[in-house]
Amino acid sequence: MDPRNLRAESFARYPPQARAFAAANLDVLKRMPLILLSLTLRQVIQYDWSFPAERQQLQLQFDLLKRMDAASLDTLMAPFSSIPLSEELAKLDWVDHPQQFTEQLTAYLWSQHQIDNYHTIAQEHQQHLQKVPGQLPTPTPRWTIVVVGRGSPQPAQPLFRRLRPHGTLFTQLDPADGLDTLLAEASSRARQHPLPYGHWYIDGGEPHAAAAADQSLTVMSYDRLAPVAKQEFALLNRFTNRKSSGPVGVEAISSYIAGLSPEDVGLNGTAADAPLRHFEVNLLTQGAGCQIYSTTFVQWASRECLHRAQPLTLFARFATRQSNAPMEQLLARDPLQQPQDAPGSLVDADMGAYYTWINQSRLAGADQSRFLVWFEGHSLACAISPTLARGTVSTAPATMQQLLQWMRS
Amino acid sequence: MTRRNFLRSAAVAGTTSRLFGFAPLRGAALPREQKTVVVTFGGGARDEETFAPEGQENIPHLMKELIPQATFCTQVVNHGILGHYVATASLATGVYERFDNFADIAPKNPTVFEYLRKGLGRPANDAWVIAPSNGFNRIGQSDGTLFAPGLGAQVILPKHLLASALGKASTNPGALEFLLQDNYEDLLFTPPAVQSDVQLSKLTEMLHLSVDDFAHHARTLSSADELSVYVMRQLMRQFAPSLLWITLHDMDIAHTGAYSLYLEGIRRTDRLCAEIWQMIESDPEYKGRTTMLILPDFGRDSDFSASGNGFQHHRTGDPLSRTTWMLAMGPHIRQNVTVDRPLDSIDLVPTLGAMRNFATPLAKGKPIVEVL
Repeated sequence: MDPRNLRAESFARYPPQARAFAAANLDVLKRMPLILLSLTLRQVIQYDWSFPAERQQLQLQFDLLKRMDAASLDTLMAPFSSIPLSEELAKLDWVDHPQQFTEQLTAYLWSQHQIDNYHTIAQEHQQHLQKVPGQLPTPTPRWTIVVVGRGSPQPAQPLFRRLRPHGTLFTQLDPADGLDTLLAEASSRARQHPLPYGHWYIDGGEPHAAAAADQSLTVMSYDRLAPVAKQEFALLNRFTNRKSSGPVGVEAISSYIAGLSPEDVGLNGTAADAPLRHFEVNLLTQGAGCQIYSTTFVQWASRECLHRAQPLTLFARFATRQSNAPMEQLLARDPLQQPQDAPGSLVDADMGAYYTWINQSRLAGADQSRFLVWFEGHSLACAISPTLARGTVSTAPATMQQLLQWMRS
Repeated sequence: MTRRNFLRSAAVAGTTSRLFGFAPLRGAALPREQKTVVVTFGGGARDEETFAPEGQENIPHLMKELIPQATFCTQVVNHGILGHYVATASLATGVYERFDNFADIAPKNPTVFEYLRKGLGRPANDAWVIAPSNGFNRIGQSDGTLFAPGLGAQVILPKHLLASALGKASTNPGALEFLLQDNYEDLLFTPPAVQSDVQLSKLTEMLHLSVDDFAHHARTLSSADELSVYVMRQLMRQFAPSLLWITLHDMDIAHTGAYSLYLEGIRRTDRLCAEIWQMIESDPEYKGRTTMLILPDFGRDSDFSASGNGFQHHRTGDPLSRTTWMLAMGPHIRQNVTVDRPLDSIDLVPTLGAMRNFATPLAKGKPIVEVL
């Protein structure tokens, strides 16, 4: 189908809110080149399960495009039109299966040596949309707290080497009540600035009881989702071992996994928590390694949470992950009942903390954001805040409460 | 510090007596019959974890033992598809191949193995590939559309060899499953089996490997790459091929997102590179007449590329994921020299052709004159 032939009925198979959104923005959709259109429809088809921040961003972008005159809109779209597409691609069902279409598109762009060109065009387009007016400043500076090293010994290499240049390293922090103090800070922020999906707690093991009981926090944990990952692998095995079919290619596997719903993998719930359940399924079906290693889970979940939900508060707590093993074993065994690689987990978490800071830095208001990483149970922490010096070391004794206060003002 | 500068610093750190500039040749005359060993990493490695200042602690053998004896090319850019099989195939053909990385497809363009065997009139056992996973089984020979078939390299998949041996040996196979780790690029995808039992039996016979000895020795190894190097040693002893290509891939475990395991893979690869050079130098068939080239197939994504997830993958095509390095060493290679000009990954094949004096007419790259 040619994008210009899109009609409201074309979206009949979309969930209700997505269908309404597409119909309301049909004129803009019809003017998009197929590459951009398929990427946009990937977002639109998920609209019913999107977080508030995602919905707002999508709406603002369409509002911007609607306001543009025809010539300006064509100029904005032209770079995407300049990439030639194959007839095979154009024949795919990109309306109902935009995810599968974009996977095929990616393979095609690589094969045609167009991937670099595409990335350049996409980045320029993204930069243009980020200038969209109407975005309100966050009601309070964003905070991310990362806790690493639960169950890990002192590391062989110094921690937080990548983060130190950006903040202050505290080497004499009193670890007493540290975790409780940090959790209380997250809960306090959630109560002061209540927002749906605005305050998150992500744990690589079993969630702390205080966080699990706090209704103002959105709570995710590896321990709770590990059985879901096992169910995903079981379904995948069933799919790849179907007797009636021939060898199953990597694209077919990707498409099958992408089509799994929360209910397929045993994540049942209510309409009210549908965005979270879909988010969790997306993590496990689109992330690599987060099904088998809890450290990868926390890093990837934090990345996606920051990228999609854009929370005011993120509390990410790493735990140990299972030891390495052949992939067949990793995919088959229960990750919660295996020997743990404590030293390796701390190295993973250290890098994960750095990536979490990078991802927070990509969000609006980054210059006012706060970031704290703490080696759980120990006296070492690195704090990044506009109120603290960069690239310095504080050897003065301090409590966690004092550190939080210094980060605030 | 620019990429060029920190890689220069790596070269400086690796030497005590010589700085840059062209050093004299170590040997006065070239040996009569040359041999070539190509070591590629079929798991991209970034500068940050290797030759950048913060990464040098992961590669002590490359830094202290190999770099001082080598010409080190600091910028080798891969402009092709960043999937390990298709990228390694491109290295082997000198043309950026365009096929599906996960498909069971031979390269379209002639491989360096075919060029060598045709150009120098070499027998089948003179060119071997030791490849990491099932997907690489077709890398030894092009699809025949541009070059007459039958002149390719023999491809050996050590993990298949071991799996076959384990099926017949008295050793407990369960204890060795960790050596059979395959593709990391898509964790949920297992390529189809490719070598029949008949082929595998023939290979073990050719290598004079007792099934029990092979399985027994495997118990002493700690990774799939160690198994590959062990098989390489057997090949060198049995056939002494003049072109031996080995692809290591332990470090590709980075796709699981576990940074510690990625670093472990790099450290092991660093040690194995030194061991390979020691194998060359201690084997009379190879000592003094072998050129070894080491190069990752490409890098991995930058920490700052928004569409990627840092070291975990190589999907963005950003400069860091495309740019890597090459190290060359051997009797006619200048020692402790750094080449800073940008090179292309597909320059490898014409360089090998120029080194060994065979034509590579369909390869697109250009010979790297600094190592000739």
